[in-house]
Amino acid sequence: MTIDIIAAAIRIATPLLFAALGGLLSERSGVFAVGLEGMMLAGAFAAIIGASATGSALGGIALAIVGGAIIATAVAVIAVRYRADNMVTGLAANILALGLTSYLLRVIAGGGAPASIHLDPLASWPIPYLSDIPTIGPLLFDQPPLTYLAVIGCVLMSLFLRRTQAGLTLTATGENPEAVFASGSSPMRVRMIAIITGGAIAGLGGAVLSLQQVGTFTDGMTGGRGYLALASLIVGRWTPWGAAIACLAFGAAEALELRMQTFGVPVSSYIVQMVPYLIALAVLAGIGRSSRMPASIGQPLPR
Amino acid sequence: MTRVPARGLGRGALAVALLGSIAAFSSPAAAADKAAILLPGSINDQSWNALGYQILKSLESHGFTTAYSENVGDADEAEALRDYASQGYEIVMGHSGRFVSAMQQVAPDFPKTQFIAVSGNEGADPNVMSIDWNNAQFGCQLGLLAARMSKSHQVGGVYGLQGVPNITAQAGGFRICAEKAGAKVSIVYVKDMEDAAGAKEAALSLIGQGADVITGKLNAAETGLVQAAKEKGVYVTGRGFDQTEIAPDLVLTNIIEDWPGMFGSTADQVKQGKLFGTFVQYGYDTAPVTGASLWYEKDKAFNPVVPADVAKEVSDLAGQFQSGALKVEPTDNDARPGT
Repeated sequence: MTIDIIAAAIRIATPLLFAALGGLLSERSGVFAVGLEGMMLAGAFAAIIGASATGSALGGIALAIVGGAIIATAVAVIAVRYRADNMVTGLAANILALGLTSYLLRVIAGGGAPASIHLDPLASWPIPYLSDIPTIGPLLFDQPPLTYLAVIGCVLMSLFLRRTQAGLTLTATGENPEAVFASGSSPMRVRMIAIITGGAIAGLGGAVLSLQQVGTFTDGMTGGRGYLALASLIVGRWTPWGAAIACLAFGAAEALELRMQTFGVPVSSYIVQMVPYLIALAVLAGIGRSSRMPASIGQPLPR
Repeated sequence: MTRVPARGLGRGALAVALLGSIAAFSSPAAAADKAAILLPGSINDQSWNALGYQILKSLESHGFTTAYSENVGDADEAEALRDYASQGYEIVMGHSGRFVSAMQQVAPDFPKTQFIAVSGNEGADPNVMSIDWNNAQFGCQLGLLAARMSKSHQVGGVYGLQGVPNITAQAGGFRICAEKAGAKVSIVYVKDMEDAAGAKEAALSLIGQGADVITGKLNAAETGLVQAAKEKGVYVTGRGFDQTEIAPDLVLTNIIEDWPGMFGSTADQVKQGKLFGTFVQYGYDTAPVTGASLWYEKDKAFNPVVPADVAKEVSDLAGQFQSGALKVEPTDNDARPGT
């Protein structure tokens, strides 16, 4: 039972983690990542189109990166270059992605009806020897490819932010863009690259849903996961491993929610379904002002 | 194309009269018959509202000129109904059960107009009706089928919107008949009937607890159930033509709804001057229009893996419903989440 819940938590957390890592880049550079939902959705759509057009999962993954980056480019240009409000820009990007993917799904089919594309979801890749370990082998080392990639992404992101010059410049831009400017770098360039790269990573989160988990795209299939990813990266205090733990915690809460229903808890399913979100709210409220939010987040760059 | 003035409709609401040219030529005398539908969302949502549009279009072959309004908000329902009725539309439909109360409010002013709530569950004399198919009968058939096909004697259902009458009917019908056939039934509800990944996770939780036949009533998310079944190698039932193809070995059958059949039958009678003021539920007891049917592939109700005696037993239920020998009336408790 516990094993089953952990396995479910990992599955639910994987798309969230990609989006949270993407959002992390954006927020550490000083721009609120409200557009994650739209970037994920564009990635989910592009993954299915890419995989069915090229006949290969790699084609799908590549296009998912492009899809997420396209929405992110719109956000980067409007929020950074044209100094628009981060919240409004992000929300607009989410609405744009929802409309655009639904529309394109019908355009490719022609005749107004949505295309119905069904692919086999990505199979799991058991790691030799490790997957043979009793209990934890099948649990941790028999996952589909994008799940391993999410963990690798988390390691790389952590190294990037703490150990590389580029990572330091990025976080400095989020704290004090004037200082970055004085040191000879362009804060605008840093923020734009951070948002677009972040969008590409969030697009992979969408690919997890469409390509790895269900093998099809349906309208609005991210269903609010971008916002949950945003909450995760805040709860995780803007660090990759913190975000990963938060994603797993939300995953576990959601897995538990489904199982609580079958335990016959005598409350309405509507109440039980709120549990993961109540946890998120409680944690966010608990963190409050003590959190380490990048100092210049949400502020447009000085002219 | 005629544009129908649509006063008081919400932003984005659009009314366009569509005149089927073939219908106009073949039955010019019927050109005066008009039918309209009010949709809570947009006709290209790939699911519920798209179905509403199909229902409307199907009436063209019955000699109706049609019009529709999209994105009709709660507060605009009564005004939009009044608009169409005052323009002489014989049939004014609302595409959800929640239109019934607005219809009850407007109907007395338009005694010759037939108001129809799609998938509602109540009517009001003399001219407000609801039409739906008998979810309880088909849920019951799936329950018996699932119980017979289960080796673990545990079966599961994934649904959305706990408490909505047609959901209660299908989930409850499933539980009643599966339990009668000796299976243990678990039901879970998901937040979003369009979220395939979420539905898959819900199905996996049921399978993890031992269920080896899965059913459900979801929209776009139904695909997630079939994918979960495919991944774990358990049987599943679907609700669409394309779901058999995803897992041909594991999809036992699909419930295919026949809305054009249900509405065509009603529309023909309205045309002859009859008005309905009740909840009309189509099922095996209203044959030949049964409202839905079980379908695996062309000319086949069940997957070949279903043994002939089980297929016969499930089909015999239809006969018992038709003759009235068997009635299933699920309560909220029958459709409760849990085991």
